[in-house]
Amino acid sequence: MAARRARRGGGKRKGKMNLIPLFGGIGAVVVVALILGSGILKKGSGARGMEPTPDFRISDYRMDGSRFASSGNVYVFDGRVESIETIGSSRVVSISIPDNPDERLPLLVPGNVHLRTNLTRGDRFLFETTCRTGRTADGKQVKGVLVVKNVENK
Amino acid sequence: MKRKKSAILVLSLAAAGVSVAQMPAAGGGGTAAPAPSPAMPTSVDASGSSVKPATDDPAHRGETPNPQLLGMEMPLMDPSTDTVKYNGGVFDVGNNAAVRARFEKFLQQVPDNTAESKRYRALFKEMLQLTRKSGRDRHYSIGGETLIKIGKLLYEASDYPADAQQSGTLATTIVSALDVQREALKREHSNEKLEGEMKDLLRQADSWQNYNVARKTSISAKSANGGKDAPKIDPGGDMNALRIAQYLKDVAKKEATQAANLTTNETARLAAKVNYQSVLLTMLFSRRFDHACVGARVYRFIFREGDTKLLLKEDSKANELFTGGMGLPPTVNAIDSMASNMRREVDQSIQSVYGMLARNKLAEATQHLIEAVAVGEYMQSVATFPTDARQRIARYWTLRKRALTALNARDYATVEEVAAKMKEMDVDFDDSMLLSYTTGKKRQSDLAIRNASKALRAGNEEDFNKYITEAGIIWPRNPNLDKGTEMLAKIDEGDPIKDEFRRLYEGKEYRRIAREREHFKIVAMDPDLSKKYEEVIELVMRMDGMLSQIKEVAKQDNSIGPCMAYEKLVEWQKSDEKFANDSEMTLTLREIESNAHDFVQALRDGEACESHGEYGSALACFYKAQCKYPQSTIAKDGIKRVMNVIVKASYE
Repeated sequence: MAARRARRGGGKRKGKMNLIPLFGGIGAVVVVALILGSGILKKGSGARGMEPTPDFRISDYRMDGSRFASSGNVYVFDGRVESIETIGSSRVVSISIPDNPDERLPLLVPGNVHLRTNLTRGDRFLFETTCRTGRTADGKQVKGVLVVKNVENK
Repeated sequence: MKRKKSAILVLSLAAAGVSVAQMPAAGGGGTAAPAPSPAMPTSVDASGSSVKPATDDPAHRGETPNPQLLGMEMPLMDPSTDTVKYNGGVFDVGNNAAVRARFEKFLQQVPDNTAESKRYRALFKEMLQLTRKSGRDRHYSIGGETLIKIGKLLYEASDYPADAQQSGTLATTIVSALDVQREALKREHSNEKLEGEMKDLLRQADSWQNYNVARKTSISAKSANGGKDAPKIDPGGDMNALRIAQYLKDVAKKEATQAANLTTNETARLAAKVNYQSVLLTMLFSRRFDHACVGARVYRFIFREGDTKLLLKEDSKANELFTGGMGLPPTVNAIDSMASNMRREVDQSIQSVYGMLARNKLAEATQHLIEAVAVGEYMQSVATFPTDARQRIARYWTLRKRALTALNARDYATVEEVAAKMKEMDVDFDDSMLLSYTTGKKRQSDLAIRNASKALRAGNEEDFNKYITEAGIIWPRNPNLDKGTEMLAKIDEGDPIKDEFRRLYEGKEYRRIAREREHFKIVAMDPDLSKKYEEVIELVMRMDGMLSQIKEVAKQDNSIGPCMAYEKLVEWQKSDEKFANDSEMTLTLREIESNAHDFVQALRDGEACESHGEYGSALACFYKAQCKYPQSTIAKDGIKRVMNVIVKASYE
């Protein structure tokens, strides 16, 4: 199965233009969007259509986590919560994923991310994450941290 | 019975020719041995019993023994201990050098079964029969012919070399006594003759006296009647008076001669008795019992007045021996009785030796044979004791002698070795006392060596010398003494070793110091280095113990065990630099790493990532390590540490 990336955002806006071509364009975009959206929903299993990122290997992440931190990459993991550590308002969740049951993948749930789902140990969820590089107060880089954006029940 | 046994051993010593001056100090046994320690027995017999000098005795307090006739040289036996107390010392008869030498000579001799010896014994048998016959028949008396025959037999027996002219001496004594008696008899006859002559003289003197009285009466009567022919003087009467005086003078002379003869007889007989009795006692004490029997039985037929009392001083030991404290006067018959008893005792001893040899009881057989030889060396049963039996006892005796010599030399290992051989030869040999003694001494010596070793480690050279010397005195051939000698040698070459020790200590080569701990032991003499030496030895021993423990842990489980062992080792190495520098510990860590490869690699990767700021990867690595070994403290710490950084960071 070929890797697939969901890219959001993108297209340039144009200021003043003729309305007829504009509506035509809008209509075409809507059609294309509907076609593409129906394709995505068709392949995803989440309620909102999140699909686990295929071919992700924890061992690759352990070797070089910052490699996954390319700008805008989103990774979705289907994982079972093994432990939850709360530090301040943030949480670090370690999950096991079906392909690597003997490894743990650490995910950061920052305090400013409000999840609609309660994370409970032993249950499976879909985690939508991005790989980020942070910085500590003293300026030290914190590379390759998987930061949770959204979680859905599996 | 006690009196009998005492007598036996008194005789044995006397016969062995042991004089006061000749008798060795107890236990020395004539063997040149180092001065024994106070607790050490000066000699030990086969059963292990020992003898010591009787220091309470007057002789040991510097008093001079009483040199009375047959009073000083008569040792008395204590049968309860088989020892003889003599002139201030207590002697083990079995160990007495003279008795021992005679016994060894006996063991090496061949049985005396020659024609000469048979003839010799036949002669005495004949003599004893002659004397015994006189005792049974009250009407039989040993007359001149029998005495002459006995004398001839004795002279014939004296030709036998082993007799050592004892028979000749007895024969000469008998002849001398008979001569004295003969001369006395002559004097008695002479006195009888003198008695007759005196009677004749007195009779003649009386006759002349009567004649003179009658003559004087007649003359007096004539004078009273006024007779003119009455003589004024009476020459005849005067002559008669002179004659009478001469007679009386002759009588007086004969009386004097008679008295002189009586005195001479008494004196000669007394001297003859003393001489005869002395010879009899000599025969008895030299264990010539046949001679003593013959002499004693003949005695009463030579001195026929019936007085057989021995002329011994009342307070002499010989007198005590014969009277046995009963207060009865000693007699010649007692010599006969004692000699007869000795002959019977010796024969019985020899019979019992045969019985014991048949049952392999060599210790007891040897003891009985010593007694038999000591008492009855010249008796037939002893002289004809067979060669093979002598050789068996000789082998056992040699071992016993070796044990005694080794004991005197304090060579306890040899003593035990010999005792074991004796036990093999005679299972009834009681070696318990002997082994208890040697074991005690060996332990004492080892303890002193241990104390010396302690003193050496404490740097106390004075105590070291004291203890090592003590150990050598107690057991000179203690094999552990060689170690002490090596220690002493190292004291002299201590400085180069100290330098080497300092170099290795500063280089933290503790393992090498520990490996060569015997070599470096000498540095303990130095108070400063002593602590370091102890510290290194203690450290290495502790590390060895830890490693041994950790290796066991590593074997416990194929997955968890090596991880647990690795983590513990890392923890120890982080806790102490000495552990981190220890080659053995590092080597063990390498071995364990290979068995816990995934766990170790995860930890290392985690730390590497952490150092490069790859906190996400680091956290994943530590989680992986935790999966391999859930109790891992290193992984837990790593997770906590990295997690804190991740949480506190701000992300774009």
